[in-house]
Amino acid sequence: MRRRALLACVPALAAAFSASAVPAGAQVRDSIPGVTLGLVYETTYTPAFALLPFGARFGGEAAAPQVEAIIARDLRYSDRFQMMDSLPAALARESVDYGLWDRLGAVWLLSGQVEGAGDRFTLVLELHDIVYGRMKESGRFDLPNPQDAGFRMAVHRMSDQVVQWVFGEPGMAASRIAFSMVVPGTGAKEMYLIDSDGENLERITNHGSTILSPAWSPDGSKLAFTSFQSGLARIYVRDLRTFTERMIAPLQTGDHITPAFAPDGVTLAFAVTSGERSGIFSYNIERNCCLTHLSGGRWNDLSPVYSPDGRWMVFNSNRLGTAQPQIYVMPGRGGEADMISPYTFDRPGYFTAPDWSPVGGMVAFHGAIRRGTYHILVVRIEDRGRRVRQLTWEGNNEDPSWAPDGRHLVFKGARRWGKGLFVVDVATGNIRTVLSGVDVTVPEWSPAQTGG
Amino acid sequence: MSASRLAFAAMVFVVATSSACSKEPPPPPPAPTGPTAEELAQMRADSIASARQDSIAAAQAAAGRARAEAERIAAAQLAMRTTLEVLVHFDYDRADIRTDAESVLREKVDILRANPGVRTTIVGHADERGSTEYNLALGARRSESVKTFFTGFGLDEDRFVTSSRGEEEPLVNRSDEAAWGQNRRAQFIITAGGAELVAPR
Repeated sequence: MRRRALLACVPALAAAFSASAVPAGAQVRDSIPGVTLGLVYETTYTPAFALLPFGARFGGEAAAPQVEAIIARDLRYSDRFQMMDSLPAALARESVDYGLWDRLGAVWLLSGQVEGAGDRFTLVLELHDIVYGRMKESGRFDLPNPQDAGFRMAVHRMSDQVVQWVFGEPGMAASRIAFSMVVPGTGAKEMYLIDSDGENLERITNHGSTILSPAWSPDGSKLAFTSFQSGLARIYVRDLRTFTERMIAPLQTGDHITPAFAPDGVTLAFAVTSGERSGIFSYNIERNCCLTHLSGGRWNDLSPVYSPDGRWMVFNSNRLGTAQPQIYVMPGRGGEADMISPYTFDRPGYFTAPDWSPVGGMVAFHGAIRRGTYHILVVRIEDRGRRVRQLTWEGNNEDPSWAPDGRHLVFKGARRWGKGLFVVDVATGNIRTVLSGVDVTVPEWSPAQTGG
Repeated sequence: MSASRLAFAAMVFVVATSSACSKEPPPPPPAPTGPTAEELAQMRADSIASARQDSIAAAQAAAGRARAEAERIAAAQLAMRTTLEVLVHFDYDRADIRTDAESVLREKVDILRANPGVRTTIVGHADERGSTEYNLALGARRSESVKTFFTGFGLDEDRFVTSSRGEEEPLVNRSDEAAWGQNRRAQFIITAGGAELVAPR
């Protein structure tokens, strides 16, 4: 009897395994021998979400529709909900009719009220669980004046609060994306910032030179990047609050490129190519000391990124030989490196520009099995390259960077209609365009932008 | 002497004198020729002018020769500078020195040997394909590879600074094989000692 039960389980297990390897709806369009490559959508639940038209009183009438519009779009961009649009104002009543909303198919309902408070505002949010017929969460939040520079970011934090209430996970609305781009009409490639929703495009440097590879400090207050302002590639750290900037050059020779902050916020890793010493180094930028050689030699180790706990580092290396850059993981203080990009002996592929997820043990990078166009790929560290999730299928796609929610990636893309800055949701595969018609370079998503 | 002999001599004398006297009188002897004072002054002036002309011509010839020499030197300088600055190109995603680049680099080596004061920054470039950051490293490998070629010929490595611009500064702003081939290159910037180059022997 027992044996029969076990045997009966085998097909079920096999089915479960194959389902997890290539779930329903997955597309497998290319193959690397020994590697599962496909568009793997995790089975995600996207509950229907209704947004009640926001109310207002005490002078909050003008701000309320703006706040509501920002939150509605943020929640759509979160890719976590089926947003119920264009609800009739008649549905906005004093008390929530759970039965009515249930019949309309809503699972969550958000109501908001903007109240004037001097030259600032207060936003009252209530999240209703329609299935259980009760208010799940509520809160009162200070908002600056809509004319203030910090207004939109403050509202984005409310959107992330809603995601946190529903899923207990971080959102990414209150974040910015750094990238470099040629200043129109000049030959200079300067650093720009843009909000996660594609608003507030802002240039923040004036080097009159080429700037590349931004890296955010863990608190989002600083940006490190590479600039050719001095004639040679050097690392600069810019404080976004004080608008000050300084060059970090503990070595005099070589090009210094691809900086990355450690979680401590004071250790900066970067790559030195050419010159007397090359490889990946770490350096304490607070005490200006402790230059440490972590890896590399003649291999062109570059593009380091620390794991969220700082114990590990992912980087790009050419140690297999030319034309075959691969992704490796090693201890954050240097040591033996393991390859995590897909590898087969005769077709090693081309994989570069890694970024470590802020949430889980996943690494995104771009690459191709054959040269030509590149796609955004994601691996789990422990899979050691045996399983790859391909997230883009169209055009050319490079330089992915994780959002603070650990679920979205920003990347530079080229389509038949032009180039731009794109965001893909790793869970659903949804892609949206943040900026189109511009040739951006190496975008980097910020950590969550806290207040201040 | 006998009387007959004297008579014969007289006859000869008479005949001789009579025949001579039968002609017209001889012309007066020419007057002593010599320049006048004015002529002498003129001659002196002419001589001085002529000497001046000669010296001007000589000076002009010398200047011409000097100019030609200077032009030749300038042309040689320019040729040497050009040789030092001429680009070398690379194969796709490779940093090793191609055979066509090797002959170009050998010419540079000769000039660099004859001019120990020359210092150069070698800048490596990549085409637009591949990742931005990886291409920075690829450009660095290309510049290093050129430097290694030079030091392999005994040139002091302190004379070379290597740098990379990755795919940031294409020579040809197009996306085709020809443009990519032009853009995969090492560039040479003379940073010192390039003013008066000595020709290699």
